[in-house]
Amino acid sequence: MAQMLVKLNVNGIEREVLVDPDDRLLDVLRDEFGYKSVKEGCGTGDCGLCTVLMDGKPVLSCIVPAFQAKNHKIVTLEGLNNDPLMKKIQDQFRAHQAAQCGFCTPAMEIMGWHLLNKKKEPNKQEIKEAISGTLCRCTGYYDIIDAIYDAGRPE
Amino acid sequence: MEQPLLNRSTMIVLQPSSLKESLKLLNENPDAEIIANASDLWPRIKNGEVKPKKLLDISGLVSELSYVKKDGSSIKIGALVTVSQLEEESIFNEKRFSAFKDVIAKFGSPQIRNVATVGGNVCAASSSEDFIPLLLAFNAKVRLSSVDGDRYVNLEKFITGKRKINRRPNEILTEISFEDPGEGYISAFEKVGRRNILIINLVNMAVVGKIKDGKIEDIRIAANRIKGKIPERAKNTEEFLKGKTFNENTVAEAKKVLSEEVSLTDDIRASADYRKALLLAMLERLLFKLRGEQ
Repeated sequence: MAQMLVKLNVNGIEREVLVDPDDRLLDVLRDEFGYKSVKEGCGTGDCGLCTVLMDGKPVLSCIVPAFQAKNHKIVTLEGLNNDPLMKKIQDQFRAHQAAQCGFCTPAMEIMGWHLLNKKKEPNKQEIKEAISGTLCRCTGYYDIIDAIYDAGRPE
Repeated sequence: MEQPLLNRSTMIVLQPSSLKESLKLLNENPDAEIIANASDLWPRIKNGEVKPKKLLDISGLVSELSYVKKDGSSIKIGALVTVSQLEEESIFNEKRFSAFKDVIAKFGSPQIRNVATVGGNVCAASSSEDFIPLLLAFNAKVRLSSVDGDRYVNLEKFITGKRKINRRPNEILTEISFEDPGEGYISAFEKVGRRNILIINLVNMAVVGKIKDGKIEDIRIAANRIKGKIPERAKNTEEFLKGKTFNENTVAEAKKVLSEEVSLTDDIRASADYRKALLLAMLERLLFKLRGEQ
């Protein structure tokens, strides 16, 4: 089969893109839309770094076939740029120096955002569970957990 | 960046919007690989492990195949129910279904739970699939649908080998069902891997049973490995336990029976001895859980 024309809705923008049948949502988000916050770590659905929101739920864009993303609303970190909760999370990531190399940061922030939207003031165990599928090889996680924890507390 | 034309995928993707249409398409294209949300298959396509020429994408059938319902004494789960959806079903809060809670809590990762389906887990038929021992312990059966009608197969008979299932080329697994064991039953599940989640487990085990007045009235035990490399019931151990008085001695004897029942081989992840030690420890722990101890 030749390429497929797929209508995608990413960060509120609708666009028709040509995809190969074996393209991953990850490739389309980075190469067609230019959303570089979506990182490829393992490419096999293990590390969590390519996390995006599909209809509000975190999914791994490296194991979502691009053609299956039609009829769904996709949001990447770029789509949450002006979101007040995301700003709070990012301020706390800065305050806690929760990023070292930064490669996992977009996915961590999305998982934190999703958790804080579901649950106000989560405890640390709940935060650990929320980021359990997102790997960080630099920080040892504590600063990330603290950042999300503080972002969930009232100012 | 343009890829050279030769490297481009030539897969044909069929995207039906109803079950009826899916069955017709599959009947005409029996060589098609069926995908739901593809979380298991996609990495294997990308790394070249599998090279399907055609895909039948049934993810569009959520309105027909995404349900959990109680029908008389049966619990029916549509093949496209995701692990996260299962997590929200109140029926699994009942004590006799605690094993479901145990499986879900440690399944893949939060992101994977949002896409992985119960039907996909069963069809993947590998020993790392946690739902298989769980559903075996609940004596589940699968419904296979085709243009010729529906056929029901016991899950035990459905999984025939590693990544091998008893599915005819024109059939789609559409439902998994089992009898509600009823009041008085308790279930539990455990797994062991190198990490709590996001890991291919070494051993997992599920038990469903009923202990009344200190006596084991009924019990079913399933693990990802007993005799071969596929999930199975530990039937000798079950038979031994049935009718016995529950005490430490019975548990110790049951471990001996299980130890004789299993026949394992070393592999890249663990030695046979280690796996056996895990299975025995798990049996003990799960039996005590069944009696209501943590």
